[in-house]
Amino acid sequence: MNRRRKFIVGGIVIAGALGYMIYAGVTQSAVYFVTPAELRAAPVPGKAYRLGGMVVPGSLKWEPRSLDLSFTLSDGTATVPVRHKGTPPDLFAEGRGAVLEGSWTGDGYFKASLIMAKHSEEYKAPHDASQAGYRELFKTLRGDGQ
Amino acid sequence: MKRPWRWLIPLAAVPVLALLAYGFRVSPRDIPSPLVGRPAPAFALATLEGAPLSLASHRGKVVVLNFWASWCYPACYEEAPVLERNWRGYRDRGVVVVGVDIQDKREAAQKFVGDLGLTFPIAQDLKGTVSVDYGVYGVPETFFLDRQGRIRVKHVGAVTDDVFRATVDRLLAEAGSP
Amino acid sequence: MTADLGYGMTLVALGLAVYGGVAAGVGARTGRLALVESAQHAALGVFVLVTSCFALLTYAFLTFDFSVRYVATNTNLGTPFYYRITGVWGALEGSIILWTWMLTLYTIILIVRHRVGARELYPWALATMLGILAFFLLVMTVAAPPFQHQFPVPADGRGLNPLLEDTGMITHPVALYLGFTGFTVPFAFAMAALITGRIGDTWLVLTRRWTIVAWYFLSLGLLIGGWWSYHVLGWGGYWAWDPVENAAFMPWLTGTAFLHSVMIQERRRMLRLWNISLVILTFSLTLFGTFLTRSGVIASVHAFTQGSIGVLFLSFLALVVLTALGLVAWRWEVLRSEGELDSVVSRESAFLLNNVLLVAAAFTVFFGTVFPLLSEAVRGVKVSVGAPFFNQVNVPLFLSLVFMMGVGPLLAWRRASLENLKRNFLWPIALGIVAAAAAFALGVRSLLAALTFATTVFVAVTIGLDFTRATRARLRLGESLLPAMGGLLLRHNRRYGGFVVHLGILLIVLGVMGSHAWSVQTETTLHRGETAELAGYRFRFDGLTAVEESNHFKVVGAFTVSNGRVLGVLRPAKKFYPQEQAPIAYVDYRLGLREDLYLVLGDFARDGSQATIKVQVNRLVSWIWIGGVVLTLGALLAILPDRHKSA
Repeated sequence: MNRRRKFIVGGIVIAGALGYMIYAGVTQSAVYFVTPAELRAAPVPGKAYRLGGMVVPGSLKWEPRSLDLSFTLSDGTATVPVRHKGTPPDLFAEGRGAVLEGSWTGDGYFKASLIMAKHSEEYKAPHDASQAGYRELFKTLRGDGQ
Repeated sequence: MKRPWRWLIPLAAVPVLALLAYGFRVSPRDIPSPLVGRPAPAFALATLEGAPLSLASHRGKVVVLNFWASWCYPACYEEAPVLERNWRGYRDRGVVVVGVDIQDKREAAQKFVGDLGLTFPIAQDLKGTVSVDYGVYGVPETFFLDRQGRIRVKHVGAVTDDVFRATVDRLLAEAGSP
Repeated sequence: MTADLGYGMTLVALGLAVYGGVAAGVGARTGRLALVESAQHAALGVFVLVTSCFALLTYAFLTFDFSVRYVATNTNLGTPFYYRITGVWGALEGSIILWTWMLTLYTIILIVRHRVGARELYPWALATMLGILAFFLLVMTVAAPPFQHQFPVPADGRGLNPLLEDTGMITHPVALYLGFTGFTVPFAFAMAALITGRIGDTWLVLTRRWTIVAWYFLSLGLLIGGWWSYHVLGWGGYWAWDPVENAAFMPWLTGTAFLHSVMIQERRRMLRLWNISLVILTFSLTLFGTFLTRSGVIASVHAFTQGSIGVLFLSFLALVVLTALGLVAWRWEVLRSEGELDSVVSRESAFLLNNVLLVAAAFTVFFGTVFPLLSEAVRGVKVSVGAPFFNQVNVPLFLSLVFMMGVGPLLAWRRASLENLKRNFLWPIALGIVAAAAAFALGVRSLLAALTFATTVFVAVTIGLDFTRATRARLRLGESLLPAMGGLLLRHNRRYGGFVVHLGILLIVLGVMGSHAWSVQTETTLHRGETAELAGYRFRFDGLTAVEESNHFKVVGAFTVSNGRVLGVLRPAKKFYPQEQAPIAYVDYRLGLREDLYLVLGDFARDGSQATIKVQVNRLVSWIWIGGVVLTLGALLAILPDRHKSA
């Protein structure tokens, strides 16, 4: 009996330790989903957020040399200026949805560490228009003599 | 362990299963469009038969605005009969189904309409401005507009009977005049 | 025509599976062997039908039969021949037919192997397999039918998802599914054991090899997935703790636990309840994995949403879990173990601790994966749980597990004496500490890296010590070196197979540590002719070219790489597929033992005058793949048939 009790106590200790580790892990690294309106309503500087919305057409600025990307994200109600360092993923464009991970700086903009865009299986992309763009690109590059 | 207590073991799995079932209620596919709640962008196009088709002329009706293309399979092929069926059922109740064909060749569009026997007004967005105005970046996408001309629901992917009827019934039931 | 034929065959197979399951069950209950034999014939029929369906679908792919909807969605006139075959399992319906086909294959093997040897258990195991088959055939008929008409018949199909046009992505589902479905057989035997009440060791011994094979394929599938992620997706990583990845990892964790705990039951007749629970848990997790991937319940970058299939899978999962647990509750009295743990310091305890750690890790992964759902259900708050959580909780667990890899096999059964401890662990601990000191001296400042290094060396030394001592014993008996080593490996192939697998795991651990602790990256835009530098490498942008392929065209950037002397030209590219929303990145890399050089092409100017690239130097990643090869060798050694076992 004594031995069994030892193992039960051991089990409880392990379970407790695991529970604590999980609790600590979740509270530290759970990232909250917010819309621009929600973020504007109560921004907490330094806290990790996931911000979802649409990239406002005309707001996108990309500087290849310095890798500075800036744009405005909107949900129809509020807007949030965003800055990011590095090339955005391929699905990212003006007028499209985007989900960002990052934090709100005290200086009035959202610093995105990660920009995400999701593939959809059922979707078909606008067909000929983008193909035309790529074909043109193709011709241009081919004509380069490389 | 005493006899009845051991039956708690299978029951212990139920909360987890229930939690997973809860996941069906929250659909991650609902893409909140920033256009929802806003007035629908106006457009004036011509149907495949040549008749004028403008959004303004349908003010006061519930509008089901569907963006499609003949090269979009299987989804557009699946939802076309759904749209046609419901168009015939709802047309006398102040509902209109409008199809906008994007980036398609005229012959392909006409073949699609002919093969599937579609009778609701369909126009081609030859310049591409309408799809840009509505933020369309794939097909099919369907917008449900209320009688005041506001976008209320954006549905991504093929429309089913359930989605169509539930949404349209809800918008029809709303009081208010244009 | 094709669609109708295929659909018809699926229906017949479903009927046969249902019949067979019932017949086997009734035959087992009433002892009527004729019914069991009839069920065997039904199983054979199902195998033939499903194989034919698979062949028919492949044929439809090869002949561009766009009247079948699945073909129209997943191929087009430009899809290369090889990918027309492998693309068959590229999307949902095809993956279900692949899973089903593997199940039928395993069922046939089960029949051939166990028809004679396992009188009592066999019929119930067969009934269970056929029942599970019936479910998957139901999914194939109702929720995800591969044979559906496409009308009107389009002139050209949509095309395969370009990410699937890759060797890794083609082998990954096959390996993974062989692993998942492989665990069905131990589960079936566990159910048979519970139903018949014969919950001794028979069912364990019968399924031992199945478990190793299934475990191996699951490991392989995970490794290939990591490899694919690393060299195709362009983010420079191999594991993201994405829900879909986690879904495959959880059964691996519990499967590993099961693999180890059966050894205790075999030796000491203990932990019967634990083992049965583990196999039920592992099988349930394989179903859960498919549910998660295909139902869209948890948002994931990978999630492929479908309507009714999620509901079907959840219902079946519920049925399986409740039935299995109900059986456990029914047999509760008999399941409670006979043996008791003699001492905390014993091999049994070590294995038990190993199990606890693995199940704890599995629970952590599960909790992190469903937490978004939980948070929304309970608090209405939407959250996401990412890599930091999983790493934070799992790293200590995994490090402890690695340590146990060294401790467990060398502890004595029942009770380890102080003498035993000194003999086996003095050198390993000493050398482990030396290794940590050496790492520190070489400039390693991360505590975690030093600990990992020490633990890895500790385990390696325990393995080496054991092998050396055993070989030396044989040498003393007069054998010469190579036959002694060979004989040792073959005669105790399970033990040494296990050791080799552990060595493979050590290499993987080193690779993971290296890549996390010491990798560097940068992103930069270069004009033509300009050079960038990272970690001693220099990259010069030479220009862009355009290349046309059968179903896409690509823009290729040329970058000359040197580190003092010219190493070569890397050509990362962007591939443009007409049916895709966005271009697909094509990574180019230089692999090495110490580090990998990794280049992704980002933005570029239309006239080819400048390009933005992301450069990574990833350290020690290749050891992960090498570890995978070693793991394979170990698994192969472990499943060798038992030689005549004398001393």
